[in-house]
Amino acid sequence: MQPVREEVIGGLQRFRRLIPIGLVLVALGLLVAGCGEGFDLEHTEHQLNFWGVPHEPWRIGPGPFWELNPNTLIWTWVAMGISLLLGIVAARGANMRRPTKLQSMFEMIFEWLRGLINEVMDPKKGAGIFLLIVTYFYFILICNLMGVVPTLEAPTADNNTTFGFALITFFMIYIWGIKYKGMKYFKHYIEPVPVFLPITIIEDLAKPLTLAFRLFGNMKGKHIMTVALLGLITGTMYWAGGFLASVVWLAFCIFISFIQAFVFAMLSIAYISMAVAEEH
Amino acid sequence: MELKFNATILMQMVNFLLLLVLLRLVAYKPLLKVLEERQKYVANTIAQAENQRAEAEKIKAEYEAEMRRAREQAQAIIERATKAGEEQALNIIAQAKAEAERLKEGALADIQREREKAIAELRDQVASLAILVAGKVIKEGLDVQAHERLVQDAVKEVAQLQ
Repeated sequence: MQPVREEVIGGLQRFRRLIPIGLVLVALGLLVAGCGEGFDLEHTEHQLNFWGVPHEPWRIGPGPFWELNPNTLIWTWVAMGISLLLGIVAARGANMRRPTKLQSMFEMIFEWLRGLINEVMDPKKGAGIFLLIVTYFYFILICNLMGVVPTLEAPTADNNTTFGFALITFFMIYIWGIKYKGMKYFKHYIEPVPVFLPITIIEDLAKPLTLAFRLFGNMKGKHIMTVALLGLITGTMYWAGGFLASVVWLAFCIFISFIQAFVFAMLSIAYISMAVAEEH
Repeated sequence: MELKFNATILMQMVNFLLLLVLLRLVAYKPLLKVLEERQKYVANTIAQAENQRAEAEKIKAEYEAEMRRAREQAQAIIERATKAGEEQALNIIAQAKAEAERLKEGALADIQREREKAIAELRDQVASLAILVAGKVIKEGLDVQAHERLVQDAVKEVAQLQ
């Protein structure tokens, strides 16, 4: 009896060592099956459109420019709603002595961003852009995180959104530059010699462009990767939809969302502070 | 996939600015107000605490000075009392001695007086006895035996007087 039993146990133990290899093989098989079935981003996106968001753009005027992306706008409004709701809830429970959790979170963001602004520019000049920067960070974070929720989409995965935000920074650079330096602000374009004019103009244009594309690229990439992972294995999102890989990726997405929101806010601070700095 | 720019870009700018204004109204203002209130409160509390500590230290110093003074006074009082007590004890002893002396003198005087009285009494009685003896002698006509007896009686009587 005894030797037979030991043999069985030994066999099981050898088998146990094989389990991970087996799992990897199964996953690979599913992957190959998925790849064989073909990977169609549009198809998966269509399947993910759980809320029935219209695909065709809304036309508000003649020409290709006067169109609105319903997908982006609807999720932007949802993100605005969430932002406002969280803000209202935090403000309603605001207490000087015993701050609520949401309130503490907002206060942390306030203190942190105020510190960042005061580090690079005169606090008096920085006070004017403080709330803009806070809203950048807060709203972009909410938008980015919406991309992590299944069936929702990040409004920041649309280049129109990121360019819209970046244009606000672009205008703020000029507004703040003129506000604190007057017409002398434009002198730095031809300093030390007028030959630099084209370079400084390109530099100015590059600022919003890089801001917008950095955020857009990250978020769009995140979105495509998420959808691809959902669509890749077995080809359908309905069963075994790339679950493990998807979870790992989504966890990483949360990190990216924070980093990108922070980078956008931080670079906006840097650009505006450069415009108002006394010495170039 | 090509990038399409359309009016969404304007819409998003409007959305963002709208959100900024709304958030400023409903969230940022009250939250920042609370933040400022807390900062003010903390600053006030710290200032108050510092004031109170300074005051407490002042009061402590006062109390310590007062304590020291009180202790010194108490010490003085105790010393004075001790000295007074010793003096009183010495007085009492001296008085007692004087009293004892007085009593002793009185007693000695009494003894002397008694002795003198006794001697005087004895002298009186011896005199009267001598007279008595003399009377008897005269009365009984003296012979030798009678004389003998007489003397014996007198001695007996004297012995009885003792």
